[in-house]
Amino acid sequence: MSESPLEVAAELIALLGDTATEPRADPQLEALTLAVAADLPVLLWGEPGIGKTAALTQLAGSLGLPLTTVIASVHEPSDFSGLPVIGDDPAAQGVPMAPPDWAVRLARAGRGLLFLDELSTAPPAVQAALLRLVLERRVGALRLPAGVRIVAAANPRSSAADGWELSPPLANRFVHLQWKHDHDVVVRGLGGTWPRASLPRLDQDRVPEAVAFARRAVCGLLAARPALVHLLPDNEARRGGPWPSPRSWEMALRLVAFATAAGTSREVLSMLVRGTVGDGPGLELLAAMDRMDLPDPEAVLADPAAAELPERGDLRQAVLDGVVEAVRRRPDQARWDAAWVLLGRALESGPPDLVVVPASTLAALRQAGWDIPPAIERVAGIVSLSRRADRAAARVAASGRGR
Amino acid sequence: MTAGTLDSEKLFAARLHAARARPYLATALFALHPVESRQVPTMAVDRHWRCYVSPAFVARTPVEELAGVWVHEVSHLLRDHHGRSDRVAGESGLTGRGDRLRMNIAADLEINDDVFGDGLARPEGAVEPATLGLPEGELMEDYLRLFRLGPYTQGLVWLDCGSGADGLERAWDLGPGGANGLTEQERDAVRFRVAQGITGRPGSVPQGWRRWAEEAFHPPQPWRELLGAAIRAAVSGPGAGEDYTYGRPSRRSACLPGVVLPSLRRRPPRVAVIVDTSGSVSDAELGTALLEVAAIVAAVGGRRELVSVLSCDAAARVVGPLCRAEGITLVGGGGTDLRRGFARALRARPAPDVVVALTDGQTPWPQVRPPCRTVVGLFPRGRAGRSWDEDDPDRVPDGPPSWARAVDLGGPP
Repeated sequence: MSESPLEVAAELIALLGDTATEPRADPQLEALTLAVAADLPVLLWGEPGIGKTAALTQLAGSLGLPLTTVIASVHEPSDFSGLPVIGDDPAAQGVPMAPPDWAVRLARAGRGLLFLDELSTAPPAVQAALLRLVLERRVGALRLPAGVRIVAAANPRSSAADGWELSPPLANRFVHLQWKHDHDVVVRGLGGTWPRASLPRLDQDRVPEAVAFARRAVCGLLAARPALVHLLPDNEARRGGPWPSPRSWEMALRLVAFATAAGTSREVLSMLVRGTVGDGPGLELLAAMDRMDLPDPEAVLADPAAAELPERGDLRQAVLDGVVEAVRRRPDQARWDAAWVLLGRALESGPPDLVVVPASTLAALRQAGWDIPPAIERVAGIVSLSRRADRAAARVAASGRGR
Repeated sequence: MTAGTLDSEKLFAARLHAARARPYLATALFALHPVESRQVPTMAVDRHWRCYVSPAFVARTPVEELAGVWVHEVSHLLRDHHGRSDRVAGESGLTGRGDRLRMNIAADLEINDDVFGDGLARPEGAVEPATLGLPEGELMEDYLRLFRLGPYTQGLVWLDCGSGADGLERAWDLGPGGANGLTEQERDAVRFRVAQGITGRPGSVPQGWRRWAEEAFHPPQPWRELLGAAIRAAVSGPGAGEDYTYGRPSRRSACLPGVVLPSLRRRPPRVAVIVDTSGSVSDAELGTALLEVAAIVAAVGGRRELVSVLSCDAAARVVGPLCRAEGITLVGGGGTDLRRGFARALRARPAPDVVVALTDGQTPWPQVRPPCRTVVGLFPRGRAGRSWDEDDPDRVPDGPPSWARAVDLGGPP
């Protein structure tokens, strides 16, 4: 007795679905997990068919949350703002706005992952109704419990020919993540092995430190750059994307704290911060955090022999410049000597051309009566390097080849 | 100095000279990590910001030319030539070694036409657009379409700027796991600091770098998409085009007696297109943009007879509904006053829902906000005519007013 064709087909399908997983670092999934853990609404931007839904399924599984998918573009505004139900005496009781079934189920479960798919193809009125859902977690008269996390997905403008763009207020409420497929992952996955990302874990001991660090980073930047606090997108190309406002800065602060507590890489934090306040302000925040990691010039001057100089040339140059600047601001012989010790160490452990400008600036700071410190001997070598560069510049100028 | 050992003092003196000649690139130059390598023909970079250096090349090259090579190599990284090469390779299937060599040459052409000079010597053998008989000032992607490997490029085959220039891994590459590489975030941070340094430095930076700095993190988007998004947003907003309305009951009302639900209702939007026909806009540009507007309006549900076209120079003339405007000759020439065009378009009854103005921006704008949405498509001025007025190059005409959504029609289509 042969099996029916459909049974054979089912067997074949089952065999095809029999895949294994392997651990693999996936920064975009890590960023998504962290933002979801931080209870911020996430918006995944990606071409259709690259596995956004699959990623959400994996995320829901690993967080132990039931997944509810709502295709935003096929709903009407009343599905999100609530359907009016007229009772016996509307004048006395008012008209309650009844929530749809999926919202009731979510509220009853108390927790879950709500996935709003195809957000960018939803008409403007539906997007407006979604504002309240995303910001206040309200669906009609129902308030979704705190255990519900919200993730949305949208197709980029290039592939959504019939799409509307996101209004700036709605865009400002999301952490925008660009979702790309990884060629290797797809090929290996079709071969039967899909990646299993290790999810970031928050370290309880680092929580207070993380909050302090995040506040210092964000407040330090915004105190110095007040213009960054609120910048509506002025450029057509940036519409519908992330932009800085007090709301999105608060989100950025929270993400920095979560990333610090989870010990995630700068790579992941970069995605999150740039996806919250936009590329420019996000990069400025990251640059400010890089500078916070650099040694403090005063600490270096106090003990130049023990100071740790960064390996990377541009950062090392920033430290040397910072130290010379600190001496310039409060000059005395001891600080001047200490700076020479540091320059000597920089010369021994790294490229010499970085030391030239700080050394000549420092030499010019010498005041009458200061002795030449012994450390200056060690820096003498750069004089010939500097002369060599000078001679090259003179040759370029003389030959006219620089024209 | 014995043969074969790296003269690092010479190499660093060259970098110092480069950083002095191009202070705005100093951060990037210092972020490059030099790696001595005997496999590299000259100097080459990888995408992790390592710079592989041949000791023999350093020994035989003068300091001033080495400085030029430093700037050249760092330019590949700042301009993300490896990422752009990968994108081109992915889009058009140019994956062979020859194609990658062409990408390397095209990237060199993009760099070399404007990085040297002004205190920085041109290295011996640096390939320029003129070498291949190509125009200056194009981007790598454009150059790539303009030449093939052949007799002219034979002499360039030695040239190899490494995987940082064309994305193809080389034998000497240390790879992502090797020491002293920069992560993607660190690379972005360096590029951002350089871009910030350039935009914050008035005057002394060449136009090419200025343009790079403006676009480093916001590459120009295809104007068709931007114009489409702007017009779509304009015709679909409340009051025009498609939206929910309580003016007519929803289909769902049948199953919810006593409940009033809004319905999705479409009112085809009326669009008035004002076309600037002053001498400065070419017919080809105009034709493309006009067809684009018509196509977008049709896509959002407008009917062609609801799109009217006005040509406008110093006066406004109605050309008529688009359905009768196939092969229209747009009349005009000379100066422009778009205020007349706006006045004329808004006088029409029924009034337009959206006004789309296609112009080069050389015009006075209406003082008050029109009572409908406005989209402005701005044609670029000619390449040579980036400055508006020979006698007064600083004079820039007023940009479009803030109530209009302006789209530059200058980017890629």
